[in-house]
Amino acid sequence: MSSLFQRHCDRDLVGYLDGELSERSRLKVERHLDSCGQCRAELEELQNSLAECARYRDVLVAQAPQAPQPWRDLYRDFSRIDESLANTSLLVRLMRPLVHSGVPRWAFVAGLAALIVLFSLNQLRQAPSVQAAALLRKAVAVSQSQPRPAHRIRVRSSRQPEFTRLAGAQAALVEVAQAQAVAALFQEAHWDWNDPLSAHAFEQWRDAQVHKTDEVAAVQDPQAPSEHFTRIRTVSAEGEVEAASITLETGDYVPVSERLEFRDREWVELSEIAEPSMESAGTSGVAPVDVPARAAEPPSRPAAFSPGSSASISDELQVLSALSAIEADLGDPVDVSLIGGKVVVTGEEGIPPRRQNEIRASVANLPHVEVEFSPSHPAAVPSQTAVAAGAAGSATVSPMEARLEQHLGGHAEFDRFSTQLLDLDDAAMQRVYALRRLAQKFSPDDEAQLGSPDLNLLRELSRKHTAKLSEKVGSMERILVPTLSSLGGTVSIHPASGHAAWQPAAEDVYRSAHRVDVLISQMLGVTPANASSSALPSDLMAALEELRVNLDDCRKALR
Amino acid sequence: MAIFRQPQSGQELQDQVAQLYIETREDVYRYLLTLGVHPPKAQEAVQEVFLRLYTSLKKGEKIESLRGWVFRVAHNYGLKVRARQSVEEKFDPAFETHLASPAVSAERDLLDREKMTRLNSAVESLSEQQKRVLFLRMEGLRYPQIASTLGISASAVGEFLRRALLRLRKVRDE
Repeated sequence: MSSLFQRHCDRDLVGYLDGELSERSRLKVERHLDSCGQCRAELEELQNSLAECARYRDVLVAQAPQAPQPWRDLYRDFSRIDESLANTSLLVRLMRPLVHSGVPRWAFVAGLAALIVLFSLNQLRQAPSVQAAALLRKAVAVSQSQPRPAHRIRVRSSRQPEFTRLAGAQAALVEVAQAQAVAALFQEAHWDWNDPLSAHAFEQWRDAQVHKTDEVAAVQDPQAPSEHFTRIRTVSAEGEVEAASITLETGDYVPVSERLEFRDREWVELSEIAEPSMESAGTSGVAPVDVPARAAEPPSRPAAFSPGSSASISDELQVLSALSAIEADLGDPVDVSLIGGKVVVTGEEGIPPRRQNEIRASVANLPHVEVEFSPSHPAAVPSQTAVAAGAAGSATVSPMEARLEQHLGGHAEFDRFSTQLLDLDDAAMQRVYALRRLAQKFSPDDEAQLGSPDLNLLRELSRKHTAKLSEKVGSMERILVPTLSSLGGTVSIHPASGHAAWQPAAEDVYRSAHRVDVLISQMLGVTPANASSSALPSDLMAALEELRVNLDDCRKALR
Repeated sequence: MAIFRQPQSGQELQDQVAQLYIETREDVYRYLLTLGVHPPKAQEAVQEVFLRLYTSLKKGEKIESLRGWVFRVAHNYGLKVRARQSVEEKFDPAFETHLASPAVSAERDLLDREKMTRLNSAVESLSEQQKRVLFLRMEGLRYPQIASTLGISASAVGEFLRRALLRLRKVRDE
């Protein structure tokens, strides 16, 4: 048996087992199998492997985490899609036979005129409902791509005294009496009471109404008359709620207020309370809710080396170092802060249990440490800024993407290129965030209070991050620079900053790395680009150069 | 899966997509998890993909294999979602922990569990592309469908799959 033939058969065997060969190739393999014991044995091996894979899949199926929410009923969305396609398809449907049937020219023109009238009438009749549906759809897409943390709303109603409450994705609440009465109203009306002032809740209710009319209007902001909001008002012929209106910010579709009018003349108004009032409940009439204290970076920390049983920044540093040793400072949603004389390590429950145990174990022997895993909360999800517009967007290929594909020699190459690049970028950004976190936690003043072993430990940690980051940046440059040059990118020189302290240098590293991150996403079509694609290669090369220079500065300052 | 027939009425189209959604959503969801997308995002993506499917069909687009189409769009969408997760860790289904859980030990003997754990780490060691081909094959996609999902040729699918199986066997026999 020639080795060449052997290889050929080998290659076809998997396809043969999968029934993917052409008739001719199949017969060829069968004939060969008749006479070749080695290939028959090989076939059996492959069969075993495939069977094992099938069992492996069964295990995966049994073990994969369940979908976190009940699956949505798509029929409602279907109707909405039908509605928004209705206008265009009506015109297209009516035009088609006219264009193709060879009717006289005058008849065609007259017909077209009649159609335009018909179409406009149809537009007039449908416009508000289509517009309302489209606006809500956008508002929901925005709220899903940028989930809001629990937030506070004010509730006024015709029968109950005014109160405020927390609302949001996972705001588990203990309701006060007046809230219970309003909650009952909402439940009866099938209106989501957990996050009532949201495009999603409004849309859910609106979709369920069979006979409804919509109005869409621009309204002035009473506080700032130059600002405009968009208000959707829907009147329904049936159900508990007779009419409901939602007011959205015009630019970003964030809901600011809502009014529900019930059939028995009762009404409820919900309004957003301006952002900074995320303070714990206090006198607001709602039991405090455990909003995870992730964002509570270290405003209050006791002086270093405070004697006795209270934690110091030295203890905090030990904890950070222990977490870093198991790389829990890279990507795991884990936070460390000095609160009430303890070093508190907080993580989200979403962290796999095995990882949670590792994290607990890593700091188990350190003094004054508390570890807690809280329910995950949506604010921690994307740290991207440029997500919104393309969130539910189409799978179209950007011009830059197309050029890259052409340059790299096909879609498969592009796919490999982008996977590799995104992985590197991910890894680099994790280091950048870890480094920045250290720089923010330990200012030059804090450093002055550290003893020399602690100082060494801190510098060691930071140096580890900069060294790894430098490797990643090097790999990115190797992949990117040749490609960018051939796409017309040019090199630019970036001056060194000459920071004496490493902390401001780390901040510069963060800024330039973030820019690289954004540009890479734009180049790969992950986020929509706002600049023209022709400038992108040079911009990205400049950003990479800047990152390299800033990183070198930071490493010098850390020596 | 049956070859897709253009439905007669709007209702029929809705029913057909809804039916496919019920049959396929868990598979697509799981595939997105293997790409490293976090569960809530994965679920959202699945729902979005089926709405896109409905929109495309409604606009009269001809689609040969609906299942193939769904996986292809989910794949591209999933990569974009995953790229946006940049700061977070890739989602890790923590296979070994689940395998070691008591519920599973009751059903499977020790030997089998060990084998599956080894197989899992072997799968982990495959190249990204080999892994994707293998997972899509396990979801019952035919080579041309896998090829269009990943943007490679059908013969490349066979080759990736062959290399993946060789690698799995090598790790298993080590």
